[in-house]
Amino acid sequence: MGKRPGTTALGLGLDALSLAIADAGIDKSEIDGILTHPGTTSREGANHYLRLAEAAGIDPRYAGSKSMGGATAGALVQEAIMAIDAGLATTVACVFGDAALTGGQRFNSPNGDPGLSWGIWGMFGPQANSALGARRHMSLYGTTSEQLGAISVTFREHAQLSPDAVMYGKPISLEDHQSSRWVVEPFHLLDCCLISDGGVAIIVSSAERARDLAKPPVHVAGMGQGYTARKSEAEDWWYLPHQKAVLDEAWAMSGLGPSDIDVAELYDNFTFSVLLWLEHGGFVERGESGAFVAEGNLKLGSTLPTNTHGGSLSDAYMQGWTHIVEGVRQIRGEAGPRQVPGAETCLTTGRGMALNTANALVLTK
Amino acid sequence: MTYDKPLPDTSDGSAPFWEGCAQHELRIQECSACGHRRWPIGPVCTACLSPEHTWVTLPGTGEVWSWIVYHQSFNKAWEPDLPYNVALIKVDGAHTMISNLVDVEPDAVHVGQRVEVVFEDATDEISIPKFRPVS
Repeated sequence: MGKRPGTTALGLGLDALSLAIADAGIDKSEIDGILTHPGTTSREGANHYLRLAEAAGIDPRYAGSKSMGGATAGALVQEAIMAIDAGLATTVACVFGDAALTGGQRFNSPNGDPGLSWGIWGMFGPQANSALGARRHMSLYGTTSEQLGAISVTFREHAQLSPDAVMYGKPISLEDHQSSRWVVEPFHLLDCCLISDGGVAIIVSSAERARDLAKPPVHVAGMGQGYTARKSEAEDWWYLPHQKAVLDEAWAMSGLGPSDIDVAELYDNFTFSVLLWLEHGGFVERGESGAFVAEGNLKLGSTLPTNTHGGSLSDAYMQGWTHIVEGVRQIRGEAGPRQVPGAETCLTTGRGMALNTANALVLTK
Repeated sequence: MTYDKPLPDTSDGSAPFWEGCAQHELRIQECSACGHRRWPIGPVCTACLSPEHTWVTLPGTGEVWSWIVYHQSFNKAWEPDLPYNVALIKVDGAHTMISNLVDVEPDAVHVGQRVEVVFEDATDEISIPKFRPVS
């Protein structure tokens, strides 16, 4: 991950697949499912799974591609679980690769239909949706930019414990956050995630099969997904009601709740996103998340260690994929200096596509 | 002076909306079967899926639901306007819509502020609805 000149989305995804196969201790021939997330610089569109499987030399029994932005990783892991449960596959590789940084991805397109493109009113890029939500949250609940900055600083501190993080060796202070330039106000530059090249692969199998593999299995105890497709007609769209539905579902399925979670890896395209996850997950009441993060509750060693790898803000922007990888490492006890001692439960979340898609996984030992 | 910012592609069914704007009227589709008003523009009712509808003219008032200020350029044509605002407006009798606030400094904007529509005549055919504060 990071800046990888000369790479392609396809090549990065395949590099990650090789590493994941080695990590699991399986043979490539055992993979009978391929689910992919085309990167923003992938050229294959909806046929991405076919090209990736071809390039990997795999003829899968089950395959497909999904584009749900930052919710894709979780959605593919969930689909893999369903395919395995249904008997359509035994071992599914979920793969993402993107050369967003060196491939010239500008993340500057507008949303909306051709006849009502938001670009008509100058609204471009992914910051705008979250910034609108942040502003309204600030107005209704008194949330401040300094509270958002506390999230940024905390995740950067965590990245100092991860040599693979793009921002390793580059700590920041709250003053740095406050003095960083405005991008889309109320977001400073340091409220925004990185743009990165990289690839991630996650191999999903049955609990029974996983028991015999090279690494300790990590179980998915609960999951949920949800969508607020209506933007304009849902006046609380900015607050993302589907995220609450997603987490309610994941809590119910797992039989666990916010107080049972040892470590959280929450999708953080922007600092503000973390606040909504905390409120929707029931970690705090509506409107109280700003004070919660400013008190330091997301730091390693505190109440709810969150984004222990640095998150999208300081590790790399892999569209939420590394949040699941870090959750797996925490549950396995592989996180080194940033390990949450004895971590047995982890919540991972993802969200994408102008805020409209979301899902969650509850990982357990 | 030519207008070089993005303009609507009205071939997607949005032409009646923009024809209303050209007459400085803010219009919305109202379902003939159930009365629901839908936004954005769509081929069927979002409540009952009926395609039958009429275009009704809204009073053009509303309130600021949220607003943001662009400081970084994402689009060349908008660059000279930096910093500029984008606002989410809860339109009376309708839903929330993306627009811009005019005749107001960003520091003077607040959530819940009452606004009314004004139209910027961008080209001979296209007038863009924007909103300004009302007391």
